[in-house]
Amino acid sequence: MKKFIIGAVSALVMATSAASAADYPTQEIQGIIQWGAGGSTDTVMRSVTPHAEKALGGTVIMQNMTGGVGAIALNYVEALPADGYTLLMGAENPLLYKVMGLGEKDYSDFIPISILARGTPILVANQDAPFDDYAGMMAYIKEHPGELRLGATGPGGLPSVITAMMNTVEGKLDVISVPYDGDGPALTALQGGAIDVMPAVLGASIEGIRAGNMKPLAIFDVTANEKLPDVPTITSFNDKYNDMLPWGPFFGVFVAKGTPDDIVAKLASAYAEGAKNPEFVELMDNRGFTMMGISGQEAQDFLSKWQQNTTWLLQDAGLTKASPEDFGIARPAK
Amino acid sequence: MDSLLAFFTVFTQPELLLLVGVGTFAGVYIGAIPGLSVTMAVSILISFTFSWDVYPAISLMIGIYMGGVYGGARTAILLNIPGAPSAIATAMDGYPLAQRGEAGTAIGITTVMSFFGGFVGIAVLAVAAPFVSDFALKFQPRDYMLLAVLGILLVGSLSTGSLAKGIFAGAFGIAVGAVGMDPLTFTQRFTFDIPLMRGGISFIAVMIGMFGVSEALLQLHHIGLPAIRQKITRIVPSWGTLRKHLPLSLQTSAIGVMIGALPGTGGDIAALMAYDHAKRVTKNPERPFGQGAIEGLVAPETANNAAVGGAFIPMMTLGIPGDAVTAIMIGALFIHGLNPGPMLMIDQPNMFWFIVGALVTANFFMLLFGLTGIRLFVKIVEMPRSVLIPLILLLSIVGAYAVNNSITDVYWMLGFGFFGYFMRHYGYPLGPVILGVILSRLLDDNWRRAIISEREDLGRFFWGIFSSPLSLTLFAAVVLIFVSQTPVWSKAKSALARRQDR
Amino acid sequence: MGWMDHMQDQEYDNHDGTSDATPGGYPDRRRPGELAFAGFLLAASLYLLYSAYGIAGFEALSSPGAVPMATTAVMVISALIVVIRTAKLHTFANETISGSILPRTVIIFTGLLIAYGLLLKPLGFLPTSALFLIASIRILSDRGWGFVFAVSTGSLLLIWLVFRIIFTVLMPAGIVPEAEFIQFFRDLFQHGAA
Repeated sequence: MKKFIIGAVSALVMATSAASAADYPTQEIQGIIQWGAGGSTDTVMRSVTPHAEKALGGTVIMQNMTGGVGAIALNYVEALPADGYTLLMGAENPLLYKVMGLGEKDYSDFIPISILARGTPILVANQDAPFDDYAGMMAYIKEHPGELRLGATGPGGLPSVITAMMNTVEGKLDVISVPYDGDGPALTALQGGAIDVMPAVLGASIEGIRAGNMKPLAIFDVTANEKLPDVPTITSFNDKYNDMLPWGPFFGVFVAKGTPDDIVAKLASAYAEGAKNPEFVELMDNRGFTMMGISGQEAQDFLSKWQQNTTWLLQDAGLTKASPEDFGIARPAK
Repeated sequence: MDSLLAFFTVFTQPELLLLVGVGTFAGVYIGAIPGLSVTMAVSILISFTFSWDVYPAISLMIGIYMGGVYGGARTAILLNIPGAPSAIATAMDGYPLAQRGEAGTAIGITTVMSFFGGFVGIAVLAVAAPFVSDFALKFQPRDYMLLAVLGILLVGSLSTGSLAKGIFAGAFGIAVGAVGMDPLTFTQRFTFDIPLMRGGISFIAVMIGMFGVSEALLQLHHIGLPAIRQKITRIVPSWGTLRKHLPLSLQTSAIGVMIGALPGTGGDIAALMAYDHAKRVTKNPERPFGQGAIEGLVAPETANNAAVGGAFIPMMTLGIPGDAVTAIMIGALFIHGLNPGPMLMIDQPNMFWFIVGALVTANFFMLLFGLTGIRLFVKIVEMPRSVLIPLILLLSIVGAYAVNNSITDVYWMLGFGFFGYFMRHYGYPLGPVILGVILSRLLDDNWRRAIISEREDLGRFFWGIFSSPLSLTLFAAVVLIFVSQTPVWSKAKSALARRQDR
Repeated sequence: MGWMDHMQDQEYDNHDGTSDATPGGYPDRRRPGELAFAGFLLAASLYLLYSAYGIAGFEALSSPGAVPMATTAVMVISALIVVIRTAKLHTFANETISGSILPRTVIIFTGLLIAYGLLLKPLGFLPTSALFLIASIRILSDRGWGFVFAVSTGSLLLIWLVFRIIFTVLMPAGIVPEAEFIQFFRDLFQHGAA
């Protein structure tokens, strides 16, 4: 009982004194997931964090906070004290908030703990579509202008970036762009024939392809994917794509800028450890994600390069609300 | 043979049996508390069961799912506060029964009917899953839109009193559902440039406010009256009652399975549509609808539990979630190293039969826990109002916060609570508001998809409707129901009746 | 007698709105404040229609503003019908605003709930809820302070355990060092188990 009282009192005292990094973590850590339960970000974060917790020796309570394309969660974490007790678990979207007019803050207000993995885009078509590969689709669009229904997920989503790439390389495509609120519902619609072609992330479509419910047209990468070795790369159809690839959405864990360096280091090593766990690696591999596990300067560089390339691509395709220049994002050197 | 063994896995392993039981028991209470949702419970279980094997983890989740869908009816009947969105329709006839002191009868009927509906759902899943999912995939955006219009026409049967007020409430609900950043174009709608409004208004916060807070405020008027004594004589309904409602419960179960199997619609819409159906087909209810009609309990409760089996159909056959809970379960299967998708039934048929077995078990547990412990539950209503009302208010606040961990939702919830209080006083029905919020995105998103797919051409849009049998059927249903609610129809009917009298 | 009235011949034995199935209001009498409420709804609907027009104007059938404009237009029309019909009715003589619509307890509780909303973030969930429960149970019941304290703290503890511990819903901690406290117990538990 005495031990109990001392402990309780010291817990109170600790709360009032400044958090010292040596004992970090002395309390539960909040993990805010930018996307809803059951989505890919949610699945990835909920499967890596238990391994990271072990390495960290603390508890991370994960909560989903949806809304505003993830901006609600980002602003929430940014507004809390930068003490390492709130983690932002998100995807690539915030890097486009500024140019898309979706928010005033992005990952430049954060420090990356770990960029966990990257996805590979793939172009899939309805099983009954009258073409079997990318070249066939292009020919079909030329013969039937304004007929092909292409799935989309809103400005700045993966399909919009892939479509912007295709418009840049092939000239403006005359297609109908049908909006969905995520690649899951869009791929469902693809199988039901409501749309003909969908640019999606490999992990979301791989099971449908394996079952023959949809057919792959081209993989948006410079090398073939070992999960689907028979699917041709987009660069094999048109080598102009080499300038823009590899490109893909990613998942990362972040803390607000101003978090003490040693806490960042502790978190980074815990997540690096967690990301190495064989079960997690296998899960990511099954879903067709490429493991990255980078942190520190390497992650910072990755983020700024990604932002440069993507924002300027969207800017040149005329899809942005504000020019990347307004936010000091320089045009990538060719 | 293997599938039979897999089906019986749950029964042969006491550990799994126990987990399904514990899950179902917890689910009944999670479902009964407004703000604690099955979706929330299942997503927390993902972290909790992370290190477990896949069978125990799924057993627990299925128990909670089955119990939770049923549990929502409890508070709907006893307090007029639906514990979950799928129990909104149950409150409309369940609460009047509780006010007559017949809460026991009402709970008995809902339990047995939930059990029945649950079985129909599971049976369809087991027998016809591939067939149903093929059919569900055929729904095009325009079909979803027509389905939403069909749902919106329910305003007529959800509004007693002035129809104009009901229409206002329904339209208001649709507008509330549109608040925030539009998920398709990221345009801001009704946000008035306030950053807090970009996230939109949580539908659960609206529901808890309108039903929970406004009900509690209204109860303050009767603070001096003693609580209604509930007589608990006959809980298990008689065979006669069950036989009488068998045709209706089969029809409403079918509605439940189908709406549940459609990706994007779930038990909440199914229950409301079933309630409407019951109101249409029941010629002479023992008591009028809205005043304690048994049919008004049978329909939504069979439908929402049948929707559970329905939601598993696209999940098991295609890896497409049928609702929010199955979406999380797909995530759970991934985490446990399985690859849910069209190949799951081929690669691992045992998983399918195991889930069917677990659902059957959970359904039995639901019947067991539903028919016992009613006395204890009923004690809640017999608590003094001076304690009950503050607790309802506090639970409403915590529940609204828990949905998205946001204080803004608490403010919305309180705002809608006060608004709902005045709406009740002045005879505006609340059901249509919730209906509008539920259907808002289904209607709006699919209308835009449909018209975009036809290149903004209304002619092509209607040609599309008339050239597809499915769309045409839905369109005909919309027209028929609409006409039956307008004066032309009632005039024609009375003219016809007069002629027959002569 | 318009076609909107066809449901009015139902029995209204329950006009105070205690059940949603039989909402308040009388078919042939106006309650105090009803006309003002209907007028407020009409004004609000008009403003929302204006706001919906601002989303995208009449740009396209598929614009994000199309459905909001259609629904707010329906709101305006139905609100207008309600206002006209309400204005024609005679007021209900036995009722007053303070007696039937907004009695004193309801106003007090409205105040309590607003205070709760304001205090939740700075003070934290536990103290705010304790204050709220104690105040409201004390106001409503004629029991002694002992009963009020016991019931309030007991039920608050139960709610806190269910939501905070089992469902890990992080309500605002405010001035209570909840997270440290729980970590302390967790450590105690783990050391005890080890």
